Amino acid sequence: MDRVMDEAPGWYALALSADIDPATSAGTRLFGHELVVWRDAAGAAHVWEDRCPHRGMRLSFGFVRGDHIACLYHGWRYDTAGQCRFIPAHPDLEVGPMIRANTHPTREGQGFVWVWWGSPSAPADGPAGGAPTPLRSLHLDAPAARVLETLDAAPAADGLVRTSLGGLPVLVALQPLCAGQSAAHILIDGPADAFDSADRAQAARACTALRRAVEARAARGIAETRAAP
Amino acid sequence: MSLTLYDYALDENGYKVRLLLGALRVPHETVAVDLFPGAEQTRPPLIDLNPLGTLPILVEGETVLRDAEAILAYLARAHDPAGTWLPHDAAALGETMAWLVFAARDLHAATLARRTAMFDAPGDAAALERAARDAFRVMEDHMVLRGLSGGLWFVGGAATVADLALFPAFALSRDFGIDHEAYPALRRWTRRVRALPGFCTMPGIPDYH
Repeated sequence: MDRVMDEAPGWYALALSADIDPATSAGTRLFGHELVVWRDAAGAAHVWEDRCPHRGMRLSFGFVRGDHIACLYHGWRYDTAGQCRFIPAHPDLEVGPMIRANTHPTREGQGFVWVWWGSPSAPADGPAGGAPTPLRSLHLDAPAARVLETLDAAPAADGLVRTSLGGLPVLVALQPLCAGQSAAHILIDGPADAFDSADRAQAARACTALRRAVEARAARGIAETRAAP
Repeated sequence: MSLTLYDYALDENGYKVRLLLGALRVPHETVAVDLFPGAEQTRPPLIDLNPLGTLPILVEGETVLRDAEAILAYLARAHDPAGTWLPHDAAALGETMAWLVFAARDLHAATLARRTAMFDAPGDAAALERAARDAFRVMEDHMVLRGLSGGLWFVGGAATVADLALFPAFALSRDFGIDHEAYPALRRWTRRVRALPGFCTMPGIPDYH
């Protein structure tokens, strides 16, 4: 059972930009809310509630065609603003403005796809800038706080943790999936040509070592909680 | 020489074989077996072809084979003159075999989890799901490493029978409640598998490409 999470307002990274190919979608969660991250054929990223307004099917199970995302159930198609544009069962119907997917402010910057969470409108400024070298997204059976404790680090003002893994400088963006799970999206802090594949493999192995350490810490914490009177 | 596959449409092990038959464009006939609820494969005449009482079963001439991974290896040797699906190189063959064993042994938990969820088969659903998650994590970590050195497939520079043996359990994981959220490298790999020539779907794997 998920306890209520403190949904602090802010920009949250949901994926490495490199992991969301054009014309594809991926389901994820933030504070237990199901979201779909998708990229249209022109390359723009979008983050929406992962829910087709028709029957509630997850849009991440569907598919992207051009600048539309389509639901797997009945093929309803939505444009990049979330407006339903086409209903296959009623091909001649001009779909009314009431049928809309629930969209969230989305940005791409520093190699991550970000969503604004907390209030209906996002601040004008947000993540931006160059893309360092993608490493991997690491999914953990542990809250984000355990990752910070294990790294012995805190996020900077831009939300990113700067540390090193396998001897390489990395940028880490943490995504609270739900109370007991989190994702760490990890980039190597530097241009791709500065590191060879052996460097990257070493950093990737440090990621799996980090996951073991974080999950062991979380499991100890749970055991201690249970042991308490 | 005629080739016959004894198969059940909802069985992911038969699907592994269908994927390779499609990729190699081998003419064959399929005999539909009532695995659920009939368990026809556990009675004569099928039990005489495979005393283990499992599907799929492949018959070609005098050759009678059981177990999807063995059938994949046989079909690749017999019907892939280019030799890419089952590599000849010793190291690549060894790695391919390791993943075939993994598909049959470690991913069996995923097969059982799916049967528990879909056919109400007996089993500890939570334990099976945990085991399936552990196996998917091993696959994800492997494909992350492969991707960092430019690799697109589980072994070597082209798709092998390893990719086909591993694909169904992951592609069908939502049938037993495991989303693809935690496996971005596998999500991208499934798209590559789906784009292979001769690719076919099965119930539970949407046909939208």
